[in-house]
Amino acid sequence: MSSVMKTTRDVRGVGLSIPRPDGPEKVTGRVQYVGDIKPKGLLHAKLLRSPHAHARIVRIDASKARALPGVRAVLTAADIPELKRKAPTRAHAILAIDRVVFSGQPVAAVAADEPSIAEEALDLIEVQYEVLPASVDPLESMKPGAPPVADTGTEADTSEALAHSAVAMAKSDDAPAKAVNVSQTAHVKRGDVAKGFAESDVVIENTYRVPMVHQGYLEPHAVLAEWDSTGQLTLWASTQGSFNTRSEVADVLGIEENRIKVIPVECGGGFGGKIRALCEPITALLARATGRPVRYVMTRREELEAGMPAPQVIIRLKTGVKRDGTLMALEAETVLETGAFSGTVLAVAAVFLGSLYRWPAFDIKGSEVLTHKPSVAAYRAPVAPQTIFAIDSQMEQLARKLGVDSAEFRARHLSHPGEPMVNNQPWASMGAPEVLQKAAEHPIWKARAEWKASGGNGHGLRGTGLSLGGWLGGLQPTGATVRLNPDGTLAVLTGQVDIAGTNIALAQIAATAYGVDIDKVKITTGDTDVAPVTGLSAGSKTIYTVGVAVMQAAQDARKQTLEIAAGELEAAVQDLEIVEGRVVVRGVPDRGVTLAAIGKKGNLYMSKIPPVLGSAHPAFTQQAPAFAAQIARIEVDPDTGEVKLHDFVTIQDVGKAINPLAVEGQMQGGAVQSLGMAMTEALTYDDSGRLTNPSLLDYRKLTAADLPNLETIIVEVPSPAGPFGARGVGEPPIIPAPAAIANAIHDATGCRLTELPLTPERIALALLAR
Amino acid sequence: MAKQILSFTVNDEPVDVLVQPYVTLLDALREDLGLTGPKEGCGTGDCGACTVHLDGKPVASCLMLAMQARGHAVRTIEGLGAIGALHPLQDAFVRLGVPQCGFCIPGVLMAAAAVIAETKHPTEEDIRYGIAGNLCRCTGYTKMVAAISEAAAQR
Repeated sequence: MSSVMKTTRDVRGVGLSIPRPDGPEKVTGRVQYVGDIKPKGLLHAKLLRSPHAHARIVRIDASKARALPGVRAVLTAADIPELKRKAPTRAHAILAIDRVVFSGQPVAAVAADEPSIAEEALDLIEVQYEVLPASVDPLESMKPGAPPVADTGTEADTSEALAHSAVAMAKSDDAPAKAVNVSQTAHVKRGDVAKGFAESDVVIENTYRVPMVHQGYLEPHAVLAEWDSTGQLTLWASTQGSFNTRSEVADVLGIEENRIKVIPVECGGGFGGKIRALCEPITALLARATGRPVRYVMTRREELEAGMPAPQVIIRLKTGVKRDGTLMALEAETVLETGAFSGTVLAVAAVFLGSLYRWPAFDIKGSEVLTHKPSVAAYRAPVAPQTIFAIDSQMEQLARKLGVDSAEFRARHLSHPGEPMVNNQPWASMGAPEVLQKAAEHPIWKARAEWKASGGNGHGLRGTGLSLGGWLGGLQPTGATVRLNPDGTLAVLTGQVDIAGTNIALAQIAATAYGVDIDKVKITTGDTDVAPVTGLSAGSKTIYTVGVAVMQAAQDARKQTLEIAAGELEAAVQDLEIVEGRVVVRGVPDRGVTLAAIGKKGNLYMSKIPPVLGSAHPAFTQQAPAFAAQIARIEVDPDTGEVKLHDFVTIQDVGKAINPLAVEGQMQGGAVQSLGMAMTEALTYDDSGRLTNPSLLDYRKLTAADLPNLETIIVEVPSPAGPFGARGVGEPPIIPAPAAIANAIHDATGCRLTELPLTPERIALALLAR
Repeated sequence: MAKQILSFTVNDEPVDVLVQPYVTLLDALREDLGLTGPKEGCGTGDCGACTVHLDGKPVASCLMLAMQARGHAVRTIEGLGAIGALHPLQDAFVRLGVPQCGFCIPGVLMAAAAVIAETKHPTEEDIRYGIAGNLCRCTGYTKMVAAISEAAAQR
């Protein structure tokens, strides 16, 4: 790579804040999402959903709906031969067969000429339910005798963990006879925990609770499906990974992947919620039944009631230290509520509980528990914000009990590269110590005593909180090609779904690796028929992995270009460089050939020069952990418990900022999702398992008026394997805020809150109980 | 139900269109007039993605019946500026790297256009409250506020 850096010193590429080229399309409303596409003959789909969390379906009568003019198809489970009784994933459970296992589960589907007709048809479908007792609370659901959720024999689904390349973790070896609704367990331990606690001077134990939250993407799930006369299915999908969507749909429908083309349409946000297939199979079946294109767009209510939210996480955490601050022992029991189907990432909690700080002895148990609620999926750094909320809150309390500076306490015990994680793998190169150092030096952190002292006297109670969290970094094999066009421009092709602006960064990587300016590079996201196999837009791995594929493909194209030029110029390849669109002999700028000339020769009738086509399809083994620290300066109204956020700082190690503008956008957006989880967001259910806040008025996301300007500080500790040293950027900023806000509230009020969200009600009650 | 003729002005052009009396202004714009810039993020007026101008004032087009716009002037994102002739707000949004997924952007821009039309020198608070009805999940609003502030100052 060093030779690339040397010969491309003046190229406009990596490291510049370049706005994304599709910006004008996005600000003029010209960009098309699935809901904006309207082919001839389009039908509209609607789903009838169960109002009960757990019920037996006694009878379905769809005859009246089928007779309604304008209705083109009505499907129930009886009409779908592909349906399997033991659905391994939610996607396989296309429609409920004879039992519903969460409120909002689809029971029947309609395709009609107009959405209003489809809606009317739903009202005409008669379903008789026998309501059954539901397991709603995960702790109750673990107990013997709880109403069972899964059909017996359903296996744990660990594909979510694999998709995120979380960590290799042994399955629990000493699992007790599993309770009926416990779908996965894990257990890691090291050292003698009992002895550690016995020798501790300070032992703190708390139970932390983080409710189910929704990813909150603005565009609800949407898909458009059409079959052609040869049996080829085309899906226009709002997805974070078109190849994954193709595989899942092929598996569910039992057809070859070659018969499906997934076109990744502009995705209006995913954050992990648009990885797994959800409404694609049923929409495809409606299209097949009608022989017409069918579009399904979920309503917001459906999204909140029956999307794939983040799991509820409950962590009982006990930690012991000596009076001199020496860490002694950690014990944890983690419960992840997965809803009606298995699919959480159990290992993430263990890694961050046990190995972010150097615990000599730990015993960490984890259980994934089924309940009669919608099954969960990833949400940006799945389980990391919830875990960091627990461990960082605990570190803060220990430091306060010991009377030491909490930033110094964290720094003293923070794991460093090379030290073992809970799975005994060494921590890879990472910048957590540097990030924490920067946070400790920040003026807002340093002035925390003055800020606290300025509270009262007509002001609220004032406090400052700090937290540190991270993400191990996802990996997935992926491919890219780079072509030289006949006019000397470059065409980059991947299957990467660009949501946040990753394509401009990938183009910058291609520009620098090849040796041309960014304005000569065009990047395309191809569909599954034309693009090289490409991984998900998830797990903070787009730049880290697809960036490597693009870099290597561009280097390959550069090598081919120089070899052709060497023949033309009768010079050795190592004497050549690319300068301003020409390949020249180093030191003899007059002796050269333009990239356009080389590109043309690769495309001329009867030419003997091959076209330049660089390609790469790497797989990866080395993760690049990435850390962020956040500092919150707040003021608490002592009467109402309301928190006003005065300042919020995100300090993050990104390895190398390929495009600082896009990196800042990621940091700011992640910070606000993290703050939402901290302060306002929760999916709340009644005792029967029904969602009580199915609107964006009641499921409260933060608005511009709730927030100050967000400060971002980029730290660059290069990763060994990432392109130009880059690390993943998306995940880290959503992780620390819940603990940072809880710590700030503790600083301001002396109250320790352990259940999210940190609402005014909870804070006011804690103040009353002081 | 019989369709009715809706006569109104859309993006400075007089328009007559047949619509069902029960359709929302958002659906009429998107489905009957092909103006898909305004988005449906919730359908209940909570997210702001459907924001358009009615006689210069921002409204949630998902909460209005189309027939209520009869005789009025509607402006959608398609009528704010165009490729090559971007509105200063659109230009600032592009340069400052605001759009990520982009789904909220048409609504945010229409709300912001109303803010800077109403207030000569909007403060940060004016801007933040002016777009408080528009949810964005990608950006954290910071770059958005900066872009609106810059566009306001440039007039």
